[in-house]
Amino acid sequence: MSENAPELSGPTRDALAQLLLGIADDEFVIGFWDSEWTGIAPMLEEDVATSSISQDEIGHARALYEMLAGLTGQDADEIAFGRQPDAYRHAALMNHARTDWAFTIARRYLYETADTVRLEALARSSYEPLAQLTGKMRREERYHLMHLDTWLRRLAADADANSRLSSALRSLWADALAIFSPVPGEDVLVRGGELPEPMDSLRARWLEQVLPVLTDLGLPGPTPEVLAAGTQDGRTRRTDDFRWLHGEFTMVAASERGATW
Amino acid sequence: MSDGSPPHDRVWEVFRQEAEGDPMIHSGNVRAPDEELAMHYAREFYGRRQESNRLWVVARDAITELDDPDLLKPPFDRSFKRPGGYLIKHKLEAAKARAGAAASGEGHE
Repeated sequence: MSENAPELSGPTRDALAQLLLGIADDEFVIGFWDSEWTGIAPMLEEDVATSSISQDEIGHARALYEMLAGLTGQDADEIAFGRQPDAYRHAALMNHARTDWAFTIARRYLYETADTVRLEALARSSYEPLAQLTGKMRREERYHLMHLDTWLRRLAADADANSRLSSALRSLWADALAIFSPVPGEDVLVRGGELPEPMDSLRARWLEQVLPVLTDLGLPGPTPEVLAAGTQDGRTRRTDDFRWLHGEFTMVAASERGATW
Repeated sequence: MSDGSPPHDRVWEVFRQEAEGDPMIHSGNVRAPDEELAMHYAREFYGRRQESNRLWVVARDAITELDDPDLLKPPFDRSFKRPGGYLIKHKLEAAKARAGAAASGEGHE
């Protein structure tokens, strides 16, 4: 991938690396959280579906880490497994433990819909390798979105599930908005077209798409206070939940640094 | 379902086509509460490794089953119903030769 990548200026390369790291960490961490449903999802068939979708996300993370490694001259595995928890750059939405099924569906729905808007923009990136990769990712994410939409609708139709879904959404909105936290060096990327639109405008488009759906289902959107709050640290805040997960997913890699798998 | 089992116990039979034009072959089944999730689960169980070109997902209770031995395996000798007594081998060979001769004139294999 790095062989045919276009030449980039230093500031563009650094900002692009930050953008890729954030997206890769989003996919990586949500993939690990939701793979925790393996064996205990509501029914056997859903068990396989959730695990398979989680695996897809880790596959997307891998492709992004490899692209990043090509940019920075690092090793993709080392980026994925070799950092301390505070060096991860996923959105705060991915800081929370798996919790119950309604919580998982609420988080995943917010993530998949936001990711769809983000990927749609990146498919128009002037950085050709990224445009190509996101084009491929979008084809897989189409099914993820279908599946999450199905679950959101059926949980919303049940009184008990609707109230669990609503309280999960209320607790998650502020951290979900962090998916569109500004990326360091974002203006350089917007000028060069590597990121075709600022995060702010992607965030606005996402809310335009998602809020009518939630309102129709009797589910809550973000409060005005949450919307007004800044998300400057949305990709740097870390929690004990995440530190625990980090211990889990780095355990094998840490058992022998630099081993070939 | 009329047996009072929970709704997610509905069974859907899945048929799979490997490549365009291949026959649809019964692959197995999934349990799902409705057609929408049945389709998702069929995709996960019989298509997630890119092994399928097309899936048919059919509610098991929509299938009309015939397994009456009086209709399917009657006790009398049925050998006269089989085409075994009529040798078409030579006719087939002649037909293939004719078709081959005609086709080779048009540049076919």
